[in-house]
Amino acid sequence: MLELNAVTLAYGPVMAVREASLHVRQGEIVTLIGANGAGKTTILRAVSRLLDPKSGAIMFEGRDLRGVAPDRVVRLGLAHCPEGRQVLARQSVRDNLELGAYIRADRAGIRQDLEMAFDLFPRLRERASQLAGTLSGGEQQMLAIARALMCRPKLLLLDEPSLGLAPIIAQEIFNIITNLNQQGVTILLVEQNAHMAMRTAHRAYVLEAGQIVAEGDARKLADDERVRQAYLG
Amino acid sequence: MPLAWFLQNLVNGLSIGSVYAVFALGYTLVFSVLGILNFAHAAVFTLGAYLTYVLAVGEFGLNGLLAGATMPFKLPFALALLAGAVLSGLAGMAVEYLAFRPLRKRGADALLALVSSLGVALILVNLIQYLFGAEIYSFPPDVLGSLPPAILFHVGEGMVAMRTIQAVLFGVSLLLLIGLVWFIQFTKQGKALRAVAENPDTASLLGISVDTFTLGTFFLSGLLGGMSGTLIGVSFGLSGPYFGVAYGLKALAVIVLGGLGSIPGTVLGGLVIGLAEAFLPPELSSYKEAVAYALLFAVLLARPQGLLGKSAEEKV
Repeated sequence: MLELNAVTLAYGPVMAVREASLHVRQGEIVTLIGANGAGKTTILRAVSRLLDPKSGAIMFEGRDLRGVAPDRVVRLGLAHCPEGRQVLARQSVRDNLELGAYIRADRAGIRQDLEMAFDLFPRLRERASQLAGTLSGGEQQMLAIARALMCRPKLLLLDEPSLGLAPIIAQEIFNIITNLNQQGVTILLVEQNAHMAMRTAHRAYVLEAGQIVAEGDARKLADDERVRQAYLG
Repeated sequence: MPLAWFLQNLVNGLSIGSVYAVFALGYTLVFSVLGILNFAHAAVFTLGAYLTYVLAVGEFGLNGLLAGATMPFKLPFALALLAGAVLSGLAGMAVEYLAFRPLRKRGADALLALVSSLGVALILVNLIQYLFGAEIYSFPPDVLGSLPPAILFHVGEGMVAMRTIQAVLFGVSLLLLIGLVWFIQFTKQGKALRAVAENPDTASLLGISVDTFTLGTFFLSGLLGGMSGTLIGVSFGLSGPYFGVAYGLKALAVIVLGGLGSIPGTVLGGLVIGLAEAFLPPELSSYKEAVAYALLFAVLLARPQGLLGKSAEEKV
């Protein structure tokens, strides 16, 4: 479904990711783990075209994303839930969710999905008319995920969904990720919390200083001595 | 007598203040999306006044390239005002396209965009001078058709006069302000525009085209600029191609007074400055142009973020 082929990424002269290749198949949860600054977020930003690759190709459903404007990518069915709970703080929870469905015009379907989002995250329903900036960290993360789902994506890119959350709330988020996947959403998950990510995902890639150094079945990789020492402590 | 005096100044202040607010909102809109002041806005204001003049009056002056020429048609004032504003909106889009976008795409410093917009302002103003000449243009007194020039109200012993043009100024401005707030607060595209202003990356991840909305913002800004240019031109005349400069500076005082980037703040700032000018005692009228800046100075001493602005820490 998603395929990165020897993708090299840089911020100006600073090399961030070197010749990374990875793929995500339909129906999978794939996780990309690695230390802070390894280039995980950079890869997701390149997939949603917020960043132009220096070289290499990014294909989504067989289509080369080169030259596609960032606001077009989401219309292809690829939603990106960015790092750091980038909710629109000055708009209400409901408006945030409705903007998640910006590309859609089917009012009835949007209303239905809004109800689904509220069922999935009941706390968002309670706070529907509150400004998103006034939510707690966990609630903002829920809102960011719910908003990304409002465009009915085929592939969901999740960047550090557990960052800064209490363990019990992080666990809740991971349960929801598993649920979403069972409902047919393919997920590419970037995480620093390697433990939980490896338990949730089918396959995993390990990124180290901008290069992919290991890949494979998530459970097998979790047993790998090198990976355990570096990321699972 | 004091009541009539008070009401008279209130009428004068609200009508001019509401136009200041509309004009200054053009700066505010662009500032909230790009975080830059568009110095070409005052030139678009001037352009709008000249365009409406040509469309409504149909004649050019005695010097300039178009001296003595006449237009094949004349539009009724309301239509000319609208057409002039739309054309100014298009000019605003051209400013974004030529002065701002190329620099933004190259990741240039915001200060360069500011200089670039100053350049566009000079080009526009000189173009106006080249075409229309440097003389004073005044709208003919019957430009509003057969409406009476003023309505008189008896208040106790005294009298309050509302000039028709003042009613037009206030009415049109009020409609524009209500329309703009409704659009930004309650429509889907308005919410998308606010998303672009708050976080362009997040907005584009939601499928909102940042480029399109930026262009749209410049259209709205130019529309407001052209509209207010015409309104001021009709009530005070067009004093030449540089007629926008003084008003542009005043509008900058308005947005800083109200709080940079705040729409309610801009409206409040415009009304406050308009009212302050109106309530200035007649013996001090030669200081009228200084009122806006004196007020700005006084307010900034007490509230550096402006009347309704957020302090830097809150903005993050």
